Order: sequence, then C-alpha cells, then structure tokens
Amino acid sequence: MPRIVGVDIPAEKKICVALRYVYGVGPKNALEVLKALNINPEARAKSLTDDELSRIGAYLEDHLVIEGQLRRQEQQNIGRLKEIRCYRGMRHRVGLPVRGQRTRTNARTRKGPRKTVAVKKGVKETARG
Amino acid sequence: MSRSIKKGPYVPAKLAARVEKQKRSGAREPLKTWYRACVVVPDFVNHTFLVHNGKTFIKVFVTEDMVGHRLGEFAATRTFRGHSGRKAKEAAAAAPAAG
Repeated sequence: MPRIVGVDIPAEKKICVALRYVYGVGPKNALEVLKALNINPEARAKSLTDDELSRIGAYLEDHLVIEGQLRRQEQQNIGRLKEIRCYRGMRHRVGLPVRGQRTRTNARTRKGPRKTVAVKKGVKETARG
Repeated sequence: MSRSIKKGPYVPAKLAARVEKQKRSGAREPLKTWYRACVVVPDFVNHTFLVHNGKTFIKVFVTEDMVGHRLGEFAATRTFRGHSGRKAKEAAAAAPAAG
C-alpha cells in the first residue's frame, strides 16, 4: 500500500481520489497537485512509483497546510475566539451552533444526542423532594 | 456580501473622535457607547469600552486579538442561566455564583 506524508495510506483508488484521504486535501487540491507534478490523476494509487509518491509528499508539505498542522491551526483559531470572549467564542464554549442556526430544534451535530427531560408529574416530584 | 474595502471598516466618526481624544489626553476612562456595530480597529487597543447590551453596559477591554470584530460581539444580549430541573437545582446549590 502506498504511503504519503506519514501515516496516510490511500488504497486501490485513482490517485486523485486517494489523495483526498490526506486531511486538508480535497478534490480541487488533489487535481492541482497532480497537474503541477505531471502525474496522471486517473492512475491507480498502487501503480505510482516511489519517486512519484515522494514528489507528491514533498509538494503537499510545501504548498499546503495539512494533517496535524492544519488541525492545530483550526484549534488555535477556535481558541482565539474563546479567549477574547466574543459571541462566537462563547458559542464554541457551550457547544452550541456558532453561526446563528436555530437551536429550538435540530442542531444535533453540535448538541450531541438528545437528552430527554422527563415530564414533571406534580405529585411524584413533591413526594420525592 | 461583505463590505466594500473602499469604505474601510465601519467606525462611527463620533466614537473614533472620542478614542482619539482619549489617546491624546492619556486618560483611560471607559467609553460608554451604544455603537455595537462598530468594528474594532487597531486604534482601540488598550482602551476600555462600556458597550450597551440593550439593558446595561458591559465593560470591554480591547486587546489586539479583538481587532476586526465588532464591539457588540463582546457584550452578550442574552443571559442563559440553564434549564430548570433537579440537576439545575443541585448545580445552583453547589455553585451559586457562576458566570
């Protein structure tokens, strides 16, 4: 299995698709990289030579922010928002949608699984309390 | 659509003048303002503002990181104190003063 920039192991797919398994490389970047390096984007990942793979790796590291570095950058950006106590930062802190979406319903991606609150039954509640 | 660069950031002339004046005199009193939509520009750094949130004024000390944001982003207009229920009651008992 070919290996590009460390741990990423794309499979039997076309190289233009396999490259997208690298965090930070999407359809557009994948094609651009291959074009710049004169590699056929339709070629299967397994058919590439070691030289071609290392060239792709070098190019990615030179031109793009990828993998751990990109993840760190994202975290830093969020951390900055949290630190300056702005509205967006506060939304990140409480784990609610940041861009003004409704939260009355939906917003499950940010809020996580539903936490159902039991309907209060007057008599039972008072008995327990 | 974003604002035209030609116009520059939205900073009401009145507020800019007050900051400028404070800069010259060296005073560091908080500037009371209702201009929540005003963009924080580098001139504002290290000044303190009292930004209206619709009810009271929230103290905002501007740091370098805040440049490019708007004053209103730092003065929340809503207070969420949590939902009612047993958990909320326990939390309230454990920590009465939580921001």
